[in-house]
Amino acid sequence: MLDPYELTVHSLTLRQLGTAEQLADITGQDVAEVEAGLEKAVAAGFVMAARGSYLITPAGREHLDGVYPRAFEGLRADPQVTAAMEAFETGVNKQVLALTTDWQTIEVDGARVTNDHGDADYDAKIIDKLGRVHEKTAKVLRPLADADPLVDRFLDRIGTALTRAEGGETDYVSGVRVDSVHTVWFQMHEHILRLTGRERPE
Amino acid sequence: MTATTGFRWLVVPEADMPEPSRELVGGKAWSLWRMRSLGLRVPPAFVVTTKACAAYFEGDDLPEGLAGELTAGIRHLEDQLGRTFGGTERPLLVSVRSGAAISMPGMMDTILDLGCNDEVERALAAESGDPEFAAEVHRRFTGFYGRLVLGCTEDLEDLPDTAAVRAAIAEDVGEAVPADPWEQLRAAVAAVFRSSRSRRAMAYRKHYGMPEDLGTAVTIQAMVFGNLDDDSGTGVLFSRNPVDGTREPYGEYLPRGQGEDVVSGRVTPKPLAHLAQRWPRVHAELLAAAECLDREGRDAQDIEFTVQRGELFLLQSRPAKRTARAAVRIAVELVDEGVLDPAEALTRVTAEQVRTLLRPEIAPGAAEGAKLLASGVGASPGVASGVVVDTPEAAQAHPGCVLVRKSTSPDDVHGMIAAAAVVTEQGGATSHAAVVSRALDTPCVVGCGAGTVDALVGRTVTVDATAGRVYAGELATSAVDEREDPDLRRLTAWAEAASPVQVRPDGAVEPVFDGDQAGVGEALPVIPAGTKTVRGAVFCAPDGVQAALDAGVEVILTAHQLPVLLAAIAHHRRTS
Repeated sequence: MLDPYELTVHSLTLRQLGTAEQLADITGQDVAEVEAGLEKAVAAGFVMAARGSYLITPAGREHLDGVYPRAFEGLRADPQVTAAMEAFETGVNKQVLALTTDWQTIEVDGARVTNDHGDADYDAKIIDKLGRVHEKTAKVLRPLADADPLVDRFLDRIGTALTRAEGGETDYVSGVRVDSVHTVWFQMHEHILRLTGRERPE
Repeated sequence: MTATTGFRWLVVPEADMPEPSRELVGGKAWSLWRMRSLGLRVPPAFVVTTKACAAYFEGDDLPEGLAGELTAGIRHLEDQLGRTFGGTERPLLVSVRSGAAISMPGMMDTILDLGCNDEVERALAAESGDPEFAAEVHRRFTGFYGRLVLGCTEDLEDLPDTAAVRAAIAEDVGEAVPADPWEQLRAAVAAVFRSSRSRRAMAYRKHYGMPEDLGTAVTIQAMVFGNLDDDSGTGVLFSRNPVDGTREPYGEYLPRGQGEDVVSGRVTPKPLAHLAQRWPRVHAELLAAAECLDREGRDAQDIEFTVQRGELFLLQSRPAKRTARAAVRIAVELVDEGVLDPAEALTRVTAEQVRTLLRPEIAPGAAEGAKLLASGVGASPGVASGVVVDTPEAAQAHPGCVLVRKSTSPDDVHGMIAAAAVVTEQGGATSHAAVVSRALDTPCVVGCGAGTVDALVGRTVTVDATAGRVYAGELATSAVDEREDPDLRRLTAWAEAASPVQVRPDGAVEPVFDGDQAGVGEALPVIPAGTKTVRGAVFCAPDGVQAALDAGVEVILTAHQLPVLLAAIAHHRRTS
C-alpha cells in the first residue's frame, strides 16, 4: 500500500496540475494531509508549485517508480488481480472508449460527423449503455477494489458523473473541464495500470 | 374516447376517433397515430395508457382487467391481419415499446418479435420457407426479453442461437423466457411500467423538474417483415439530403431485409432507385408520404419503412440526423418555405455545427509538393500549424504548438488543452487522444506509427486532421467566411437580432478581460467583477460564452460571430 505521502504524490500522476482540494477529491484524503504531503514533496524536489496548483517533476516520477513495486508487491502477485485487469482491458475499457466515441460522433449517411446531440433517443441509448458497462465494471474490478480502496472511490466518482449525465448535464459524459465519466475513467485506468505495473495498451 | 371502445386501460385506434393526448398514450404512439390520421399505412397497434401505468404502481401489479383487455387488443390485431398470436399457422408477432409523453433515458425501449416460442418458430419457418429467418427472429426475441424484462446484463447480441441466449440468461439471472406468448406480453408490459421508475429515469425527471411519478404508456404493434420474400424489403428515407441539406428525398432500400440490417451496416443496401424500378407504385407512395411528413413535422424527416409482400408500411418518422452543412441549409430553407420563423430557425442550428463549418482547410493546391512527414487516422477534424513539442510541459509553455506523443494519458490533458493540434504514434479513433481532442475540438491525428515523435519534434508542421496527414512547414489554409456564405450570413443577421449579448470582431467596451492572458488551465478563468468585454479562445466555446453571460458582460470579441451568438442565444433560452 502507498502511505499517505506517497498517495499524494501518486495522485499528481492521475491529474496533472491539481490544487490540494482537487487532489484530495481523487484520493479521499483530508485536504490538510494533502497540503502537508505537497509541502514535503516540494521540498524534496518531487513536486513543483505553480499558482496554487501542483505538478509532479521527473524526480517525483522516478521516486514513484521505486515505490510502486514494494507498495503493490502482494497485489501484483495475485492471479485474480491479473485476470481482472486482463478482463478490464479487453472488455469494459474498450466498450467505454467506443461508447464515448459514439457519444461524440454520429453516423450520417455512412460518414461519422460531430454529434450535435439533436437525437435524444440516440444519446439516451448511449448513456444507458454506459450505465450498464459501469455496473459491469464494478464486478470486473472487484479483485482490485478488494485490494485497493481507491478503486471503489473511482467507481463511485464515475457513478456520480453518470448520474449527472443522466440528469441532462451532458458535459459529464466526455467533457475535459469537468470530472466527466471519461475524465474519471481515465484517471482510474491510469491508477490501476500503476497498481499492476502494466503499460498502457495503446 | 375509451367510452366508445369500452376499454378502461387501452386506446385502440378506430376510424373517426379524435386524436388522443400525448400524456395518455406517449410520444411514440402519438406519432403513429399522427401518421395513420394522415392516411399513411402503419402496422396496426394499440396502446396501454399511462393511467394503467399509474394503477400498476398503486396496486403493485397489473391492474384489474388489464390482462383481459390485452387479450382483446391482440384479437383486434389478429382480425386485421388474419394472423394468430402464438399460432401454429400464420403467427402474429408484436413489438412492445415504452412511450412517455417526453422521451427520457433509462426507460426500456423496444422488445421486438414478442410472441415467439419453439412452435411459433416452426410456423414462421413453414410460412416463409426460410428456417434461418425464423430461427433469427426467435434468437433475437429471446435476447430482447432476457435483457429488458429479465434484466440480464450479459451481451446477448453476439450469441449464435436461441439455445445459447437461453443458457446465458439462465446463468446470469436464473430465470427462463416463458414459452407462453400471453405471459410474455403481460411480463413485458409490467417491465415497461417498472422501467419508468428506474434510477436513471428518476434522475432525469428530477433534473428537468418533471413530476416524479410520471409514468409511461406501452405501445403494442404488429411486426411486419421485410425479409419474407422477394417482394419484401426494408429501408430508410430522408425527406431532405442529410449531407448537404438540399430539398430532395434520399434513401436506401434493402430487398429481403429487416429494419435493423440497414442500421447495423452489416449489409450494403441499394439506392432508392432500385425500389422505383421494382415497385414504382410503392416508391411513389413512399415519396408522397415523405413529403407529407416533412410538412407536418416542420423539419427534415428520417423515415423507416418496410415493404411486406409489395405493401408499404411506415414504422417511424422523426427529425433526421444531419451534417452541420445540412443543418444550416435546412434551417434557412424552412424559413424560405414559410415553415419556420427566423427565431425558430436559430434553434435548429447549434454553435458546434457552425464551428464545424468554419474550420479552416488546407487551401486548394497547397498540399501539392509539400513534404508528407506522417500519416494516420484523422480522429478530430481540422487543420493547424505549429512547432512540434513532445511533452505537455513544453506545450503549456508554447501555446499554439503541435503536441506529438507516443500515446496520451490523463497526464497529458494540460498539454492537449494548450496545443493547437495533437498527433500520436499509437492508438485508433477511440483512443484517449482521440476522445479528449474531440471534446476540446482540437485537430488530432492518431496512429502515425513508431518513430513519429522523433521524426517531428522541433519542426514546424501542418496537421491536416481531416485527411489524417502531417506535412512539413506551414501550409496555406482557407476557411469558410461566415460573411460570404449566404446561408451563414442570413443566420448571423437573425442571431444578432436575437442575442442577449453583443458579439463582434472589434469594438471593446472597457474594462476588458482577456481569457488567453489568464493562463491555460482545465477550469474556466474567473471573470473579474465589472468586466464589460471579454476576449480569448475560451470565450468562443459554449461553456465560456455561458460564463461570460452569467458574469453580465456586454461584449464578446471574436473573429467568428455566429457560433458565439448561437451559444449565447441557447444559454439565454435555457435560463429565462
